[in-house]
Amino acid sequence: MIDQTMIPDIDPIALPAPIWLLKFLLLLTFTLHILAMNVAVGGGFVAAFTEYFGRKKKSQNHFELSRGIAKMLPPFTAFTITLGVAPLLFLQVLYGQFFYTSTILMAWPWLSVIVIFILAYYGYYIFSFRWEKLNGKRFWAVLISATMLATIGLIYVNNIVLMLTPDKWKAMYFANPHGTHMNFDDATLIPRYLHYIISALAVAGVVVIMWGMRKLKSDEQLGKWAIRYGAWWFLIPTFINIGVGVWWLIALPREFMLMFMGGNQLATGYFLVGLASIFVCIMLMFVGMNASKPIGKIMAAKLFFLITIVTMILMRHELREAYLKPYINWDAVQTEPQWGVIIIFALLLVGGLITVIWMLKKSFGKPAIN
Amino acid sequence: MNYPIWEVPIIGGGWLIGIVAVIHVFVSHFAVGGGLFLVLTERKAYRTNDINILNYVKKHTKFFLLLTIVFGALTGVAIWFTIGLVNPQATSALIHIFLWGWAIEWVFFFIEIAAVMIYFYTWDKIDRKTHLIVGWIYFISAWMSMVVINGILSFMLTPGAWTQTRDFLDGLINPTYFSSLAFRTLTAIVLAGIYALFTASLLKDKKVKQTIVKYSSKWVLPFMLLLPLAGLWYYLTLPEIPREIILGGITFVSNTAIVGLIAGALIFFTVLIMGFLKPNLYNTPVAVFVLLLGLASMFAGERVRESVRKPFVLVDYMYSNGLLLSEFDKIKEDGIIKNSKWSSIKEVNEQNQSEAGKEAFKLYCSSCHIINGYNDVKPLITEYDEEMLTAIINELENYQGYMPKFAGTEAEAAAIAKWLVKFNKENMKGEIK
Repeated sequence: MIDQTMIPDIDPIALPAPIWLLKFLLLLTFTLHILAMNVAVGGGFVAAFTEYFGRKKKSQNHFELSRGIAKMLPPFTAFTITLGVAPLLFLQVLYGQFFYTSTILMAWPWLSVIVIFILAYYGYYIFSFRWEKLNGKRFWAVLISATMLATIGLIYVNNIVLMLTPDKWKAMYFANPHGTHMNFDDATLIPRYLHYIISALAVAGVVVIMWGMRKLKSDEQLGKWAIRYGAWWFLIPTFINIGVGVWWLIALPREFMLMFMGGNQLATGYFLVGLASIFVCIMLMFVGMNASKPIGKIMAAKLFFLITIVTMILMRHELREAYLKPYINWDAVQTEPQWGVIIIFALLLVGGLITVIWMLKKSFGKPAIN
Repeated sequence: MNYPIWEVPIIGGGWLIGIVAVIHVFVSHFAVGGGLFLVLTERKAYRTNDINILNYVKKHTKFFLLLTIVFGALTGVAIWFTIGLVNPQATSALIHIFLWGWAIEWVFFFIEIAAVMIYFYTWDKIDRKTHLIVGWIYFISAWMSMVVINGILSFMLTPGAWTQTRDFLDGLINPTYFSSLAFRTLTAIVLAGIYALFTASLLKDKKVKQTIVKYSSKWVLPFMLLLPLAGLWYYLTLPEIPREIILGGITFVSNTAIVGLIAGALIFFTVLIMGFLKPNLYNTPVAVFVLLLGLASMFAGERVRESVRKPFVLVDYMYSNGLLLSEFDKIKEDGIIKNSKWSSIKEVNEQNQSEAGKEAFKLYCSSCHIINGYNDVKPLITEYDEEMLTAIINELENYQGYMPKFAGTEAEAAAIAKWLVKFNKENMKGEIK
């Protein structure tokens, strides 16, 4: 029998929206956050290694790319934060009783995220604004910043997994109430974390390909090189990640693992679609990187990659629901939707998106983010 | 009672929130007012065709970007992290009440970040008119995020009709909403000037520097004269108890308010004399001094605003220690310890009295009183014996009106007294030695 006595009661104020809407917005904004984060973190590592190879091979192509990524890192880091705020909001309103508690157990590591982030972010600005001046120090500047951001991801994964396992909390808190815990004894933690971080490299690879496609017109040689180079950054991490994914699956408690293998139709369905789309994506990428006219194939590969990412996020959500099933009865959660304000929010969101797109169009001719 | 208590030694959780919050508001108000400064100064440069002013605004934009979107944005996230850790119950309540307020604020935040980046990256790359429009979009969205968040912050002190109706708009547009919005908006403009004076003080060309210093001081002086009026308006919209507290009900609160006023006056006269009248005197040390004074008055203002909420964290809804007013009677019956999910002790008995007292203190009192730290009770109780302490605890609200009523049982009051009185004995031993 699981001890549930210490899981905080659900907030007595009803949820101000239907649960499906909150979960939808959580997953939508989380997906956007993950994409921006992948570019910010994965892009940092790719830039660092590109610097390293460039220096070793004395290759101008590498330096051009490094300079290109340097320009992207600060804006994508800004959007990682901005797009991260929204899912954190929806997470708190839906799963507050789990999230706040696990956060309290690891309060200091959790707060350290802010300090690490500020330092890493300024590091990216230095890399970006002083790219020329830094010269030989560029490798270190961007590597250290990217590593700090990756550390934040590790702290996040610690917390997001700890919130799923309330049966561990009591012993942790009574051993030490000062909020210095971590959650490394969870067997799923490391593969889960690696799965995200490695996929960030693959996403950054796709961004390099996109950068190369834009260069094709002005400098065909550089563009073609970047497409091939980015494709390898996509392919190698993706192959490794298939292995890491299997590791994560095996590390899961047996009932949750089986959920993706027929035990739960929805979860299994997501898994199959995800596997199929990453397979198609890899094939298209192989063909595209060697094609004389790569754009169409690569755009298709991108689409299938996006499908894979979305299915992975849906699987992650199903896993969370499965973990928390013994502790929360969604049917008993009260909702009193504030439709008036929800509509205002929706209108402002649409208006906001139009405003941002208008600004981007006016400023860069076409949207800077493809 | 519901969540585990994170024990923060010495300063306690309240101060941790305070420190993070003051740093954040000092930058976030600049992020609002500074936006207006950028766009109006850019316009002025075009109108007067003054290349020096234009070059200065460009430099100032970089400073503005690096300070607001990195430090400003992340310290904002830090407040959210900290309040969730220190008072999860209140954070959860606010998020449930104002989820869509926050969601709307997030939309403006998103536009704001996009706009400031575009504004920065497109200097000289797009036509002037469009660049100015992007600047306006930035300022308006930044101010709009203040418009929303101000409702949530002022709600905490003056929930107004929400207490009865539980209606989103009643909570957001509450009795102190407009007065505090006016106060915050003026503060934002003044801070825009104070920060601009700082970057102006770094300029090398003496003549240009004097022009910009003089110009920037005009952003400070008139609005600082309006601030006391907005403060008075805010004061008049406050309920009776907060007014009493400010006017001496709690000494440190009125002292803090005085410190804030003195810091404000010092800013005014420094900027008037060394900025407006003799702009050649405004060098970087003076600029830093004025910034620090700004931080001090900001600190005072926020501290007063937070303190006058006592004994609540959300007035008329939740006490500072996370206890809901609606739970009070139930807890009074069964006791704090029994109702706490995170207590290792479940009842008070003969054997565990002192231990149980310690536990009840932690659950009920430690949000404001840190043993050997902030607002320590030990020096406050030296003259009381166990019996008197028990009596005081049972009637906390009569002893000190800014403390919550005691929701524990009589056995718990006695247990807390038994535990606390030990410190007196230790003190006495110390004195004899």
